Amino acid sequence: MPNKITIKTTLICTAFLLAIAGMAFAKTDHKEYKNSKLDDCKDCHNGAAIVGNHGGTREHRLLAERASNNCSDCHQQSFCLDCHNGGNLDTSLKKSLSRTGETMPATHRSDFISIHAIKAKDDPQNCYRCHEQRFCSDCHAKIPNRGGMRIKGHTPIGNTQVYFLTRSSSPVDNAIHAAEARRNLQSCEGCHPDATVCSACHNLTPGAKVFKR
Amino acid sequence: MGLILKLFSLSLALLVIACLPVRAHAVEVSLTSSTQYLWYQDFVADKNQNDIAQYLRLNVTRLDKEGKANIFMYGRASQQVTSDEGLRGRLYYLYFSYQDALNNHLDLRAGRTFVNSASVTGTIDGAYLEAKNLGPLGITGFGGREVLFQDKQEVGGGNAMSGTSVYLNLPLSTHIEVSYGNKYRNSDLARENVGLDYTTTPFEMFNTYGRVKYDTIAEKYNELLFGAKLVPFKDFVLKAEYLQTRPTFDNNSIYTIFNVDRYKEINAVIEYEITSAYRLNLKYAREYFGEDADANVYDIGLFARPVKDLTINASYEKRDGFSGQLSGFRVNAGYDINQAKIQAGIDYDDFTRQDSRGDTAKKYWAGAGYQFNKLIGLTARVEIDDNYRDSDSWQGFAAVNINY
Repeated sequence: MPNKITIKTTLICTAFLLAIAGMAFAKTDHKEYKNSKLDDCKDCHNGAAIVGNHGGTREHRLLAERASNNCSDCHQQSFCLDCHNGGNLDTSLKKSLSRTGETMPATHRSDFISIHAIKAKDDPQNCYRCHEQRFCSDCHAKIPNRGGMRIKGHTPIGNTQVYFLTRSSSPVDNAIHAAEARRNLQSCEGCHPDATVCSACHNLTPGAKVFKR
Repeated sequence: MGLILKLFSLSLALLVIACLPVRAHAVEVSLTSSTQYLWYQDFVADKNQNDIAQYLRLNVTRLDKEGKANIFMYGRASQQVTSDEGLRGRLYYLYFSYQDALNNHLDLRAGRTFVNSASVTGTIDGAYLEAKNLGPLGITGFGGREVLFQDKQEVGGGNAMSGTSVYLNLPLSTHIEVSYGNKYRNSDLARENVGLDYTTTPFEMFNTYGRVKYDTIAEKYNELLFGAKLVPFKDFVLKAEYLQTRPTFDNNSIYTIFNVDRYKEINAVIEYEITSAYRLNLKYAREYFGEDADANVYDIGLFARPVKDLTINASYEKRDGFSGQLSGFRVNAGYDINQAKIQAGIDYDDFTRQDSRGDTAKKYWAGAGYQFNKLIGLTARVEIDDNYRDSDSWQGFAAVNINY
């Protein structure tokens, strides 16, 4: 025989669930608006819920990654993959080609190879939404000693990349190296997946969180 | 090579299935094809390269009378003709979809498909299920072999990915979602995330959204995003966002034991639609990289449609701070003339990389398209880059496009 508290809890939970169920929000089917111009969307979307180009870069990501999104009412998956995976079925005129002949999203401005070292810093995680970590080493590992390919964290001791730091490096160089590594560790992994260059100085004991030379 | 054969044999099989006269209703088949010749410069190989690429998207829909069963496919085969690289291909997706099953309570996708959740996202060879319209509640689940693409082909393989989400769709355009996702590499758990997403519009003029993503292996938050939008009056939007991300590594990576800094950003945006033909946007972002390193990014953009069928986009960005300085503008315009369209643009960036080089990067491009009829059209684009590597690096493509 259930006690009064159990009955009361059950009733409250049931009432809560029924209240939630009563609040069910039916999504509007957008298929019939598939061929509308973006300006026409504002006939309904004139508030803060959705505006402009589906809310911009980051908000677009949240919308697209959400379960129960209605992207497919208007877009096929090819629409996503043509930006995120180098496709060009729609022969966009605004997209440039990469060095491998695949299209890059129009967000890759001017000569992106020249400026990527700057732009990649604007949220470093952004690159990995489309690129695997080995993508960086595809260029940097193939021609590591070409002057133009130098990576900032490698530069304290001149123009080659055959070093990181030595035991005679200055405290300033050590500090630069440490700060760069903490900010861009994923890019380190791209060229040095097993971290053997790190173990030359650091004790890489699994579980260690602080390194000392 | 095997992938290419698989791609096209499957396409053929789909077409055959679609043409089988075993149904009382008409199965619909739509095909989009683009055959492209591309030329570009590979600066690693230090030579000009030419490719031939064939894109194919095939939709076989209305396999059943209600139109709930469909098959979708998209892939690309490419061959570099200036090297011995060989034929390469990507099967982006090929899946069977059944929607609104069980009295509009279940969606199903099986095959190679793109899957998404707040915790993990990617392409899988597997299945995706969504139980929906359970009052405000919905549940999704997916799992399969993770598909990775790189360098014009599929790479890796043998890794698994799975995830599940539980969500509530409530009034006031409110969506709340909790999700769990993981990835395996060589049978070992490599990534495991828990995500929380929300968006709500408590007032018509105000919307807020956010995401919290927690890496259960590193026991750290690897993404925090909170945003708000305010529309104080018609066609005027104010936005503000806070973002924090943290580098993540596979569980078996030695890099998990390193200390890392978080990236943080606060930004504010103003969007103003002056008239339906003119839109203006302003953005400021303050970026933090740890160790007292930060940067400011300013962006202003204008969209204009001064006459019908002519559109102009112009923007200027200035960045100053950690990792370098950049000051550049982009202008492009497009004009539609009946079945023809022409577009052209210029990018100009004056940049200085920190502890490296400074220079200008310029890009000039133009393209045109002509649609002969509903079935066939042509597109061509030419671009010239002027940068520190090369003063006349040419690239472009010419394409024959078919829509059937």
